[in-house]
Amino acid sequence: MSSKRSLHRRAFLASMGGLSISLPLLEIMLDSKPAFAGGPPLRYLVLWGGQSMGADGDPLVDDFVPNSLGTGYDLKTATQPFATYGVEDEITIVSGLHIPTANGGAVPDGGRADDFHTNNMGPLLTGVKTVAYEKGGPTSDQLVSDVIAGNTVHKNLVYQVQASWYLSVSAPYGRDIISQRSDGSGGFIEVPGTVSPSQAFDSLFYMFAPPDDEAAAAEQDFLWRQRKSVLDLVKTRADVLRKKLGGADRERLDRHFDEIRELEMRINTLPPAPGGECQEIPGVTDPSLGGNQPDGGYDQNVGYSGEEERARIFMDLTHMAFTCDLSRVGAVLFTMAQSHMNMYQLTGQATDLHEVGHGGVPGGTVAVATAQAWHMKHFAYLVDKLRGTPEGNGTVLDNCGIVFLFEGGHGDDPATGNQNSSHSTENMVVCVAGGAGGLARGTHISAPGQHPGKAILTVMNAVGANASSFGEVSGTLPELVG
Amino acid sequence: MRTSRLLDSSFLVAGVTAIGLVTGLASCTGDIGGDGPLGPVPPGAEEATFSGARRLTRTEYDLTLRDLLDDTSNSGFALLPEDVNDPFDNDYHTQKVSPALIESAETLAAGAAERAVTSPTVVDKIVPCVASGPDDADCLGEFVRTFGRRALRRPLSEAEVQEYVDQFLPFAVEGDDFLLGVKLVLAAMLQDVEFLYRIEIGTPLGLPGVARLTDFEVATRLSYFLIGSTPPDWLLDDAEASKLADPGLVRIAAEKLLAEDRARDRVDRFHALWLGYHQLPHSAELVAELRAESRALVEKVVVDDRSDYLSLFRSEQTYLSDYLAGHYGYDAPGESTWVTYPDERRGILSHGTVLSSFGKFADTSPTQRGIFIRTRLLCQTIPPPPTDVDTDNPPGEEAGECKADRYAIHSQGGCAGCHNLMDPIGFGLENYDNQGRYRETDDGKPECVIEGQGTIEGVGDFSGPSELADLVIGSGELEACVVSQIYRFAVGRREGAEDDPILEGLTDGFTSSGRKFDELMLEIVSSESFGFRKEEP
Repeated sequence: MSSKRSLHRRAFLASMGGLSISLPLLEIMLDSKPAFAGGPPLRYLVLWGGQSMGADGDPLVDDFVPNSLGTGYDLKTATQPFATYGVEDEITIVSGLHIPTANGGAVPDGGRADDFHTNNMGPLLTGVKTVAYEKGGPTSDQLVSDVIAGNTVHKNLVYQVQASWYLSVSAPYGRDIISQRSDGSGGFIEVPGTVSPSQAFDSLFYMFAPPDDEAAAAEQDFLWRQRKSVLDLVKTRADVLRKKLGGADRERLDRHFDEIRELEMRINTLPPAPGGECQEIPGVTDPSLGGNQPDGGYDQNVGYSGEEERARIFMDLTHMAFTCDLSRVGAVLFTMAQSHMNMYQLTGQATDLHEVGHGGVPGGTVAVATAQAWHMKHFAYLVDKLRGTPEGNGTVLDNCGIVFLFEGGHGDDPATGNQNSSHSTENMVVCVAGGAGGLARGTHISAPGQHPGKAILTVMNAVGANASSFGEVSGTLPELVG
Repeated sequence: MRTSRLLDSSFLVAGVTAIGLVTGLASCTGDIGGDGPLGPVPPGAEEATFSGARRLTRTEYDLTLRDLLDDTSNSGFALLPEDVNDPFDNDYHTQKVSPALIESAETLAAGAAERAVTSPTVVDKIVPCVASGPDDADCLGEFVRTFGRRALRRPLSEAEVQEYVDQFLPFAVEGDDFLLGVKLVLAAMLQDVEFLYRIEIGTPLGLPGVARLTDFEVATRLSYFLIGSTPPDWLLDDAEASKLADPGLVRIAAEKLLAEDRARDRVDRFHALWLGYHQLPHSAELVAELRAESRALVEKVVVDDRSDYLSLFRSEQTYLSDYLAGHYGYDAPGESTWVTYPDERRGILSHGTVLSSFGKFADTSPTQRGIFIRTRLLCQTIPPPPTDVDTDNPPGEEAGECKADRYAIHSQGGCAGCHNLMDPIGFGLENYDNQGRYRETDDGKPECVIEGQGTIEGVGDFSGPSELADLVIGSGELEACVVSQIYRFAVGRREGAEDDPILEGLTDGFTSSGRKFDELMLEIVSSESFGFRKEEP
């Protein structure tokens, strides 16, 4: 859908309009308004919320999963935003999922060590067991991107809504990472998300708006050549430097050099032209970064960086990236695992997200659902926007496979033996949206004891990944394909 | 190692010239690195320790832009990935590369370049000539030469200067704007890998993987360690004149850096990161007041009085504002001033800054405070909790129990082995809440009277931060730990076995010479091995 940029398209279009500009005509000037000769592309998106399903000690497992199965399911506290956006008939809820635990013994395939936080991220995001907090495989977005990204400008968009770890005396140690890829030699490269909405905007909509006239076209072309020239020199110099580096430094910096080359390729690639539903969104500015939370404590003044606005912008950017075919794959972290983001401005809950599950505010599981609802609001907003965007004979949503993952479930905590614990991977839920590959829409599927990786694998294959397994998890959920 | 300190400075200045003529040769090349071994293994080379490419932290990036371009936008903080504080923000082993990093670096460079060329004051500062027109290659070259040395922290070769001019002068001509050429040079340099990273290559020696740093690389090490920013012009001049080719000369330069106000900021930042209070979870006003109190003590001990460093932990006075007096429950002094504690508080462990850190579960955490003392002040290693233990919920959640009773579960069974190393320390600080205020009972539980008795297992008993400080000092481990912490901050990584000889020497010197903290920093940079590096395996 895109091509190498030999002459800036805007300048070319201006010249074709009868305006006189002194630029050479080159042979490669394919305009690439997404016409999708072979049918619209399929897209894949992973969304992540750092919360479990219930609150400690509350026998109410969740306030999320409908009572009824099938379509027309009833809404709960967490899923009320589905009604706000009218997407109950679009979002499928898969309930009863379970990641097995070591339970004092060896960690089973696709399972986790008994301590909850971060040990459950690997099995959920990669399908590979976690023995000691590691993520042992490539994440599903990376696996899918390898297959379906095609010639898009952005192979995989990774965004991060929660802007900071918000704890001054520690670090997230992987709780902020939901995307990682293979390094080609048995290891993995973590891919932290873009935190700055304005940076994400600039990256996505570089030279996107068409110039108004010849002068603007010439100016745009001039600016593009400047940027390219600067990057050229940076890259050339990096190549010279690389030869002087010893082994460890070379290895350390090779990723940097690789990313410079990737950036250069991106700005040399002609993006699809705006038109129809594909339009640049209004410019964005970054909400300021907030200060830190006390560990396990709460201060109303800190731990918040405008995540409400950030979430909305990242949803808008994802929507338009898919609509314009700027990207076909993405991963968006709303909240980190064990999130210390302040919930007060989002839900009125005077605590951080993590403590909501641990009784930091009254309400137990209903309070957890209230925090989940904030996540679901942005998810529903995105689904609604994709559904409202025509594409081919349907909508963009018809060609998407989206999974929303929550960090945990509710039930037995093998580390403590506590029941009704938020530190549990029993009773997990995966939400699915989109119609790619005939995915079931707007239904509630009970899959007791099934690994959530099966739901993920089903969606991966619905968008064309053609995978026989996801990490150590094999088998799909046939009911999830309508 | 401390030979230089024993020598008279005037002798050093006169005596190093000949050495500089030899060792400084590599520093004047127009490219990083050099050719060939220099012959016999020089002193310090065999003690060279590992170093790797270090990306500027967010703070270093912003300070560097401030010093290069008077750019006070703090744009790096807004856009660069959050640094890992473990506890220092500059451990290069924790730094990751991502598309977000590369794009941010480009955006930041372009933004800084734009701001610079639209400020006549900045242009006057960084462009050393008046361009005769947009095609003035000589003037653009002169700018590349002078600014390039500052931004990339070494002189550029003439081939490199020409490369920049050839690349960007045509744009200046096309745009009929000389400053466009300047802007593009800036945009390129400020995202150059050599700008974003502190890369040391040096000159190879006969020892495998060991290289002598160029004088410019030494200047960069010095500057980022002592002022957290790019080397000032005079230091680059020193490097160019081979005036950093000897430990004694390095020390002279370091003393000059330490005299700058920026060094005060750096010393404050080290302590704030080390002792966990660089960001506090309180209102902005309380944070500012608490930070000011601790900064005042650190500056008094380290910079103004140059007193025995242990006085940081034993000071009977604190710098008190009316606001803080109200916070702590003291009489208001009327204006911010040094006051003698009216109670048992002593030193920085009594400050609201330190006592605010290492809390958990919306309260103080005896466990976390114990970890703090063990790991940050005694440099001991606490084994991580087993992966089958829940560390995320307070112990014993039965309502109505007092905190000491709830934590009793930690001293039972398999938990005791590790928790007895931690919790009994924290309980000796329990009379001080998570904002550093004194309390007699558990928060919200007047029936739960706090005993406030603590123990460092194997060391002794104490009550309160003052006695704790005495105990920590009496353990004999504090000095070595302070040395390790500042060393980590200096080298940007945790120490390994190969660092032991250096650390032992530094500790001996620190302990035997009155424990002057600035002297310790000077000793680090003027050790024989400071001018060398070893490639990591």
